[in-house]
Amino acid sequence: MDHQGHSQNPSMGVVGSGAQLAYGSNPYQPGQITGPPGSVVTSVGTIQSTPAGAQLGQHQLAYQHIHQQQQHQLQQQLQQFWSNQYQEIEKVTDFKNHSLPLARIKKIMKADEDVRMISAEAPVIFARACEMFILELTLRSWNHTEENKRRTLQKNDIAAAITRTDIFDFLVDIVPREDLKDEVLASIPRGTMPVAGPADALPYCYMPPQHASQVGAAGVIMGKPVMDPNMYAQQSHPYMAPQMWPQPPDQRQSSPEH
Amino acid sequence: METGGFHGYRKLPNTTAGLKLSVSDMNMRQQVASSDHSAATGEENECTVREQDRFMPIANVIRIMRKILPPHAKISDDAKETIQECVSEYISFITGEANERCQREQRKTITAEDVLWAMSKLGFDDYIEPLTMYLHRYRELEGDRTSMRGEPLGKRTVEYATLGVATAFVPPPYHHHNGYFGAAMPMGTYVREAPPNTASSHHHHHHHHHHARGISNAHEPNARSI
Repeated sequence: MDHQGHSQNPSMGVVGSGAQLAYGSNPYQPGQITGPPGSVVTSVGTIQSTPAGAQLGQHQLAYQHIHQQQQHQLQQQLQQFWSNQYQEIEKVTDFKNHSLPLARIKKIMKADEDVRMISAEAPVIFARACEMFILELTLRSWNHTEENKRRTLQKNDIAAAITRTDIFDFLVDIVPREDLKDEVLASIPRGTMPVAGPADALPYCYMPPQHASQVGAAGVIMGKPVMDPNMYAQQSHPYMAPQMWPQPPDQRQSSPEH
Repeated sequence: METGGFHGYRKLPNTTAGLKLSVSDMNMRQQVASSDHSAATGEENECTVREQDRFMPIANVIRIMRKILPPHAKISDDAKETIQECVSEYISFITGEANERCQREQRKTITAEDVLWAMSKLGFDDYIEPLTMYLHRYRELEGDRTSMRGEPLGKRTVEYATLGVATAFVPPPYHHHNGYFGAAMPMGTYVREAPPNTASSHHHHHHHHHHARGISNAHEPNARSI
């Protein structure tokens, strides 16, 4: 496999290596992943793999600008959302009509055999928490719907919201690989978002599920054992992203045992 | 994957499953009748967890979604179902973490504080402040109404005792949002052990996620094995 890549700095080197692997394993992205041109890196201030060529560079730059505007709008909407939640709760007086049935919440909690007793207040708190969870997930999903200039919220919009939000990592297995793959492919050309930081580039490079062996090989090449719990725990400290890509192999391994 | 029994807990033999289920059902109904003022009249009395019961009602979910979407927005059917699945996964995810804390502290009842603690530990920091206020208001309003309904004097006495006991607990290091540290409440008012159900695969699925998250947090040793 071709391992050529830029080694101007450790972080960029890692990303470059990953990009090469991703390119080799994904023939549908010819020319999309190459060494980063200096001009684009300078102008956007982030590490990313973008195609060479002024025309493509300008196109990517324009696209990213629009995307950044949308993300900024989303952040504002989320701030407004949480502020509204607090104000609404300050005025709550009716605790009889919950937006979600408490009995159903209890049943779901009790589905875990280890759960023994539940205080009466816990489902009440969960009812409100789940409402906020649905609202946040819907808002983030709708942001993706608007990005694609649609008016129908679809499953792949939810997949995109899950992929982009660290606290929603636990939901990755609920959306099918196809939707996740779409999100990954759609994200690669845009490079790394400033909010996410350069580390966020890693999961995209290792996401292609049909090449699990490649992921393993990449882990070895990078000199870090992928499944080493200690290393994994250490890596997880600065950012949440690495948790995304090791999970599929675990799932496959654990499924037959249950 | 078999979970090691905590503090000697074991699954009951099959011969007593029926009896246990019966007891659990009665407690469930008492729980609903005594403390859940919005009990669904249509709730069916079935021992096994039905497919329908694994998710929140889709009408409720859609109503909530529409509160944040623009009027012209449409929601595809698969998106509605996906949100339903996400909510159940969220409840199980948080409950698992809250329950583990209970077991570490050798308590049997998951309290609202445990739920809030679990959310904070799992990164849902934005939820803590509004939910803490929600809990306080619930106690202010519902507590008064409960007393006005002529609750048994014994229960009131026990509650005072509980508050006294709670103040003796040492607050956990990361527990900075709540002044009240819930202790065990009277057993008669809460649901007891769950009957066996067909959701065990989901249970194990959840544990996998929890294990991964536990490694990343790495605050305390995770005694539970997957």
